[in-house]
Parts: sequence; structure tokens; C-alpha cells
Amino acid sequence: MTASLPRPIGFWGDAWRRFRRRPLAVAAVAFIGFLAAVAILAPAIAGTKPVLCRYKGRLYAPCLAYFDRRLEPVVFAQDRFRGSYPANLAAKDPESWAIWPLVFQDPFRAVRADEWPGRPANPSRDQGRPSRTNLFGTDQYGVDVFAKMVHGTTVALLVGFVSMGLASVIGITLGALGGYFGGWADSLVSRFTEVVMCIPTLILILALVAIVEKPTIWKTMAIIGATNWTSIARLTRGEFLRLRQSEFVMAARAAGAGPLRIMLRHILPNSLAPVLVPITFGIASAILIESSLSFLGFGPPPPSASWGAVLNDARSNLSMWWLVLFPGMAIFLTVLAYNLVGEALQEVTDPRLRESRK
Amino acid sequence: MPPGRESRTMRLLAILAAVALVGCGRRQDELAKHAPVEPVGSSGAGGKVPAAPVAERLLQPFDPPPLEELVSSATWIDRPVRDAVAVLRDQQRAQTPKAGAAEALAMRNTSAAANEVILSSLGRLPEEGQADFDARIDRHIAADINSTNPIMISSTYEFDVLGLTGFGLFSTDRSLEPFASSEAVTSWQSTANGLIDKVVLRDDLFWSDGRRITAHDIAFTFQVIMDPRVPVPAVRSGTDQLRWVHAYDDRTIVFFHKEPLATNVWNINFPVLPKHVYEKTWEDDPTLKDSDAHVKLEQSPIVGGPYEIVDRKRGQQIVLRRRKGWSHVDDKQVRGVPFFKEIRFRIIEDPNTSLLAIKAGEIDDLMLTPEQWTTQTTGDDFYERNTKVTAPEWVSFHFGWNIETPFFADRRVRRAMSYAFNHDDMLEKLCYGLYKPAAGHFPEDGWMAPKKKLEPYKQNLDKAEALLDEAGWIDRDNDGIRDKQIDGRLVPLEFSVLVSQQPLRVEICKLLQQNLEQVGVRVNVRPVESTVLQQKTLERKFEAYFGGWGAGTDPDSSENIWATGAPRNFVNYSNPEVDRLFADGRRELDRSKRAEKYARIQEILYEDQPYTWLFQRNSFYGFSKSLRGYVFSPRGPYNYSPGFGSLWKPRAE
Repeated sequence: MTASLPRPIGFWGDAWRRFRRRPLAVAAVAFIGFLAAVAILAPAIAGTKPVLCRYKGRLYAPCLAYFDRRLEPVVFAQDRFRGSYPANLAAKDPESWAIWPLVFQDPFRAVRADEWPGRPANPSRDQGRPSRTNLFGTDQYGVDVFAKMVHGTTVALLVGFVSMGLASVIGITLGALGGYFGGWADSLVSRFTEVVMCIPTLILILALVAIVEKPTIWKTMAIIGATNWTSIARLTRGEFLRLRQSEFVMAARAAGAGPLRIMLRHILPNSLAPVLVPITFGIASAILIESSLSFLGFGPPPPSASWGAVLNDARSNLSMWWLVLFPGMAIFLTVLAYNLVGEALQEVTDPRLRESRK
Repeated sequence: MPPGRESRTMRLLAILAAVALVGCGRRQDELAKHAPVEPVGSSGAGGKVPAAPVAERLLQPFDPPPLEELVSSATWIDRPVRDAVAVLRDQQRAQTPKAGAAEALAMRNTSAAANEVILSSLGRLPEEGQADFDARIDRHIAADINSTNPIMISSTYEFDVLGLTGFGLFSTDRSLEPFASSEAVTSWQSTANGLIDKVVLRDDLFWSDGRRITAHDIAFTFQVIMDPRVPVPAVRSGTDQLRWVHAYDDRTIVFFHKEPLATNVWNINFPVLPKHVYEKTWEDDPTLKDSDAHVKLEQSPIVGGPYEIVDRKRGQQIVLRRRKGWSHVDDKQVRGVPFFKEIRFRIIEDPNTSLLAIKAGEIDDLMLTPEQWTTQTTGDDFYERNTKVTAPEWVSFHFGWNIETPFFADRRVRRAMSYAFNHDDMLEKLCYGLYKPAAGHFPEDGWMAPKKKLEPYKQNLDKAEALLDEAGWIDRDNDGIRDKQIDGRLVPLEFSVLVSQQPLRVEICKLLQQNLEQVGVRVNVRPVESTVLQQKTLERKFEAYFGGWGAGTDPDSSENIWATGAPRNFVNYSNPEVDRLFADGRRELDRSKRAEKYARIQEILYEDQPYTWLFQRNSFYGFSKSLRGYVFSPRGPYNYSPGFGSLWKPRAE
């Protein structure tokens, strides 16, 4: 019989244990999870296309068109639905049934009178105060703000993840190469990083947006990613510089491991913790950059819902407070959540901070 | 930015580019013996023509006949010479204002009746002693000017500023009829055959450096404008229809035309440069802007108009001051004194900022967007310092379909676009019900429009789909988008529409996107900088665009939009009948017969739909309560005569 030893917790397990002790950080993670759920389920939360419907004997999910307009089933175009489902479904196939989104509102256009039986048209101009049909009110052209916000979540989260994903790949690769090999490779990477750091991101993006032939949200993300990797690269380089001298790396080298294996298998996992912190903060700043771009009118081309674009609508009429409050709060809370998570990560993974704060 | 920004630019382009090139069939009539058409390259009489390469030379040398012979060889008809302010004063004497000024200022402009009362009582010239001649006006201008050189005018912003500093002989009145200004001219005569105009200048005109303004300045400027080395953006078209301009003495200037055109009255109107200044610098630097001397002139130009530029901060403001040398000679008043001592143009691009500025009393006038008119200028914060008025204006907006693309070559597709678009939604929702629908190129209340009004297109999706089916655009590959086999390739009906980055315009394009999506046509809305939009349209590098045109002074100015291969025919429209009608309309001197030609053009365009016409935008202006005398023409409150000249501020009680 061997004594059952408690399983060692390990670095990440320990970090998670400490993380859980911070209610604000946990709340922030929960909030981000909530946003992710909203982003994925956006077409089912607010939309004018059925989540699922049976039409002429077959099942369709027209709501997917909100993710990509090519996903709209062709049969509805052929049967001249013209984008308006409730009346057409009933009229063209009495047998049909449909599951509708929770809120019948469209992020790209105003809902017309009687499009949904008995529902009046969305108010336009400055009359669209929040009401039961328009939870967050409508903008000047009668488009529902709640629907815009829900669909804007997809954009906001995507921008954060995709652009920082790209930035991480660039930053970690360059930082690892510079830190591990040192010498001229290191100076090359470091100087290049400094050059990129000197470029003001927002201005570079404004310039690129003007040049790009067909701007899309993906290109904006790529530009944000391609300019925001510098802090990641610097931290990775520092970690690699430190760890390449450590005993376990020497042991690996003595055992005959090649540089790639040492970098990926031995150093990278041990250097990830400090690198996660700038990534988290980077996501927050990417969301802010996208909102600022949309606010300035350089955001993704129409049709697209973006929180910053709703704020931009508010600029021409500040008395429509609901155009400021809801997107402003959403941006604020999301950025705050990521910053809280980043801060907590920093504290639970940095041994020095950990000692001082327990 | 107000919705008008780029359209105003385009409008002026339309106005200035009065006439496109016409075939120069030189008429051999009684003048021919004096005007031999010399072979290219021979050194003729007009010694001022610089030695430009033959291929680029725009002017043929010309030997003007002696003055006595000229005067005796033709019958001369007197043309109008007027003082615009005096004419307006006479007109207003006959009308009684509908209310006192105080009463009108207390009103809110909430109905057509209220608008009329405000216009009739505040839009009046001052009585004796009423005006404050030391007043300053802070005018809003939505973009900076490119140059202070009057022959470099190319946008309305330059027109607004340089119209006040520049010297010119002719003007347009409120009904867009031409006349010579009595402030500059003592007589204007034309020959009965319409081939010569003779103008006699006043002898009390001076440049801001004290030198006299003479007929030689005008003849000199003509040579500069026609020099191919000088990069003149707009004023050359029209001017290039002149055969020659000759100064017989300091006061007598004669314009020789190539052909007796109805548009000759516009062609003789071009800005004037001081000969004694540019004579020395022009040959060294034909760009008129690169050399040191020209840089200095750009900063402080020598001007001949009622105002001079005293301060200019790029992107911020331009300050003009009244020139005493304009109204007084040797301390004796010879001309009416302009009402403002100082005019400060404040450059504010953002419409929200400019609205805040007028509410704060920092600017005295502002063109309002529909949203601003309807919801932003109804409260005390606006009416405390300001009032607002509206009047009809001849500016219309459209989608232009590039006919050289595979999509829009077919008229049925273009008509389908017009039927698919939800015009009612646009007018009611996006334009707040303030704009009238437009059915065609010429304003329907203009003299050139058809008597029987054309019905503006209305949304009819069934008709749109039927037309697209008929034109062969059917969804063959089952992807929800219509397509067509072109050169063995299946081309989907998907195109981009270019639009300048202004909220209202982008919204209108988004509405088009939604509407066309409903009939299986995919649109990508591409908001771009207005300069990019201009560039792309000039180069014909677009599939569709959103734009606008303002009325020129004459319907013929639209030829350069519709004639085959014309410079502003962005959509590559070509119809021999339209070309012929424009040419005929120009030669026809009888107004009602001319009107028939243009009415026919309007009908043909309506059938062909090279544009989907959207709306006619009227003038919507906010004015400070201290401002009086605004009178509107089909070109707005400023771009005619007296225009800005009738504005004034009352003396403090």
C-alpha cells in the first residue's frame, strides 16, 4: 500500500486557485462569457429571420444570414420573400412553422408597420425612446438599438480575439526568435519592434483604410493585429532570454533537443504566463480602437453593426441619450472586464506580486 | 458636414464648366475678312500668345478690326447694365412686409406661412440710416479654399470667398438672367448677329495696390486662361468658346465669338487678373503658384473687388476687410458702400460642431441638414440667437449608373434600379419629408422642364424583377443573386456604390442596398472621402455612385454632363439625339423654342434612366437674429447678384 499523496497542484492550478479568490475577476470572466454567448446567439436573440423554420416540407435556418449573407437559403429569394418572413411564410405555405428570435427587430433596417402582425412601425427621427417594442430605443432612421447592440457584440468580441490572436502569433514568434538566438537576431527583432512601436496605430489605420480598395471588418482586424504585437514581443523576448540560461533548458540541450523543440516544448510553456497579460490588455485596446474607428466613421462598411457606430449616430443629436448610454456602457464594461482579467492574471502568475499580496 | 459639401463642389463645377467643347465650325460671315483663319503656327497679330507647342495651342492668332470699322459694320443692341442692389430695392419698395422685424424675429418657423412672414420681413434691404456699416459678419464655410487666385476657382468655397474680392463685369440676377454690373461697366452692347460683345468700363476702378483697372487687364487674363501651360481647373471651359478678346483702349473691351450661341452671354464672364502684376511673373512660372512672387501673391493677392483678404489661417479662417478704394476715389463716393466692414469666414467641416457654433453665436449663418432643421433647431437654445428660413433651390441628387459596366449597359436594368428603390422611405424617413422628389435632370419648376410634369419613379418590386428577368439577369446558380452569362462567364449582379462619408448619404445608399437585396441584387456600399469620390468619378472608375448637381445659369451648362464623351459625363451616357438637341438648343435664340429642346432631353433621360433621380434639395438656412436682407434664388442665398450683397446688420438702438 502506498500512501495516497495529494496530487500536486502545479503552476496553472495554483494560479486558478488564486484567481478564484478574486470576485471581481471572476465576475469579469463571467461577463466575457456572457458576451460570448450573446455574440454566438445574436441571430436568435434579435432578428427578423426565423431561427428555424419548416417551409414546403424542408427545414431551414435563415437566421444564419446574419453571420454571412450567403447563408440565406435560396428558396426564399426565389419565392420572392424580399426579406420579410412572417407574412410570406404564412401566405406561401400555410403548413409552415417557424421559431422566431426572442426580439423581432433587425440590426440593419427599421421594422415596418405590420411586418410582425399587429406591431407598429419603428419610430424614427428623435422619437425612438426606449419602449417595450424597442428595448434600447431606435436611431434616427428607425433601426432598433437593441438589435444593433446584440449584433455589435459579435463584432466587438471578434475584433478583440482575432486581432490579438494575430498579434500574439507575430509577437511570440518574433520575441522567441530574438530572445532565444540573441546576437544579431535579437538586435534585429528589437530594433524592428521599436520601429513599429513608434507608429501611432490609429493614424496608420486611418491611412490604410483610405487606401484599401474594399475595406472589410477582417482587414481592420488584421491592421490592428499587425500593429499591436510589440509589447507581446518584448515580454516574450525577455522571458526567453532569462529561460534559455536555466538548468532545464541546458538539460534538454544536453539530451540533444534541437532549438525548435527547446523553444516550443520547454521555454514557451514556462514563459506564457507573463505574456498572457499584455494579450488581455490588448484585447481591451483592440475593442476600443474598433469603436473609435467606427465612431470616426472609418469602421467596417455597411451593413454592419458596431457599438462605435451607434455612438457616432448619437453625435448629431445628443438629446437622444439612449444612443449614448447603451453603447457607451457596453464598451466601458467590456473594456473594464478585460482589464480586470488582465490585472488579475498579472497578480496570480507573478511570484513577486503573489508573495506580496498572498 | 452639411449634406451639401461635395455636391456644392460639384454644383460649382457644373456652373462654371458652362459649355463643353463644340465643333468649331468657324463661320465665314462679314467678319471673315478681318478675322482670317490663319494656318497653325504662323505668327499672327496677337503677339501675347506665348510660344506654346503647336499641338497644345488653344488660341489661333487673331487680327481684330479697327474700332470704327467694327462699330459701323454691324447693328448693335444694348444689353442690360444694372445695379443689383438698386434693382432689389425697387422691387421691395412695391412689397409690404408681412410683419415687423421684431415680430418676425419672435416667430418660430414651424409652417410655410411662418416661413413666408420671416422671409418677407427680414429679407429686406435697410432703410436710410438703419444699417450698421461697421458691422462684422461671421460666415460659415464647410471647407478651406485651395487658392486665392480667382482664375483657379473650382469649388463653391472659392466662389464664396473670391466672389467678394474679385473683379468682374457680369452677374446673374435672381431669375438667373445675365446682366452687366453698373458698378464696373457703363455700357454693354452685342451685335445683332450675336458674334461680338462690346463693353465700356468705368474709369474709376482701382486695384488694391492703387493702379487702375483697365480693359487691358481683361484681355490679358483671357490670354492667361487660354494658355495651356496654366493649370486652370474650371474657368477655361466656356471661355474657350471665345475667338478673341481685345482691348481697344483703357475702357473699351470687345469679345469676339466663334459662333452665335445662346450661351455666349455666359462665356464672356470670367474672373480678371491685374495685368501689371502677373505680366512680369507669369512667363517665369506658368503654374501661377510655385515661384516666390506667386507664393507672395497667394498670401496677399492684389484684388479689384469690394473686399480684400487681410488674414488667412489655413483650415481655420479667412478674414476679408472692406476696401475703401472700391467705393471711394479721392474721398469722393463713387459706388455703393458694402454693408459689412469685415467678413470672417469660419471654416468648420463637422456639421455638429457648426450647429453648436451658430447656437453659441460664433457664426451668423449655417446651411442646415434635414435632421438639424427638424429636430435640432426647434428649441430655445437655437431661437435665442437665431432664426431659420427655407426656400426652393435647384439642386438635385441621384444614383449614377456607369453604362460602361456589364450591369448597366441595358436600359432595363437601370430602370429596374429606379423601380426597386424605395423613394418614399428615403423622402419620409431619411430626409424628414423636407425634400421634393426629383424626376429628371432639370428642375421641374424651371423654364426648361417639360410642360407636362414627369412622374417621379416609385418603388415597384414586381416591375423591377420583371425588368431584370427580361434583361436576362436570372439566378442561374442558385445562390440568391441574379447572374448572367457574359463572355462565357457567369457574372453575378453585384456592384459597389460610391458615396461620400456623410451620414444621410450613406443611409440612402444603405436603403438602396436593402431594397436591391430584396430583388436578388447585391450592393456594396463604399463610403469614401469626397475627394476620392470626385477622382473616381472623373476617371470613370466606379460601378455606381451617389452624387448631386446644382443648376447652372443656363440649361446648356448641362451639356457637359450628358453629351457623348463630355467631361462630366461620368456615367458614359451616349445618345445622338440628346447630343443634337443640346447643339440645337445652344444655337436657338428664342427662349420658348429652346425650352422645347431641353424638355425633350428631359423626357429622353427619363426613359433612359442613366441616373436614378432621388430628390431636389431646397435651401435650409439658419441665420443670426442680427442678420437681415437674405433673399433666395434657385441657387441659394449667395450665388447670384446681389446675393450676399443684400445682407446687412441693423445699427444698435
